[in-house]
Amino acid sequence: MLQEELKSIQVAKTVDARGTACPGPLLEAKKAVGTIKSGDIMEILSADEGTKVDIPKWCTKQGHEYLGTVEESGYFRIFMKKG
Amino acid sequence: METKKLCLALYTGSVDKLTAAGIILSGAAAVDMQVDIYVLLMGARAFRKDVGDDSGKLHMAENASLKAEFLESLKSLNVKTWVEFFREAKSITDVKIHICGLAGKVWGGEKLGDFIDLADDICGIGAYIESAQEADVNLFI
Repeated sequence: MLQEELKSIQVAKTVDARGTACPGPLLEAKKAVGTIKSGDIMEILSADEGTKVDIPKWCTKQGHEYLGTVEESGYFRIFMKKG
Repeated sequence: METKKLCLALYTGSVDKLTAAGIILSGAAAVDMQVDIYVLLMGARAFRKDVGDDSGKLHMAENASLKAEFLESLKSLNVKTWVEFFREAKSITDVKIHICGLAGKVWGGEKLGDFIDLADDICGIGAYIESAQEADVNLFI
């Protein structure tokens, strides 16, 4: 998705994992995805560079859809749709 | 989705390698892998109730002189202790922790109750071989 589309997208849940290093954000995402419905969009905030790679791969493996990443100052906003 | 299996032979009793094992376990938990951990020799010492994540009682596998720096850095990065990593992985996916009977005895542990509550049973090496043969990923740490 385009960056502008991602920035204005409605999310069902935001997971703020900026206080944790790898593997914290991935596990926070894993735990949070169980609390939303199929088709819901979730945003993961992470300051960990590795999360940018991990979440898209994890989405593919787990049957979710990775929508894209927006870089903010000092952190990333990673968007996904639950499968 | 087919469940993949990770078999980990956990020989180490060192805080640096136990932390690495914990991080790998987290990755396995994130993708719902089934995990079998076989705790061997030095590893069983770390699972003793009086050791666990008491870092003062755990050595380093790599460069002992860096222990304080290593632990301080993990703390400042808000990284969990190895016991916390293992406990969290157990809460997310199917992780079974088996203490090798001989390893337990080496460190004075005869019964399951002699070890921290992460341990599920005491086993023989045949169980490890069987699990390793069935696993999709095998690790020795």
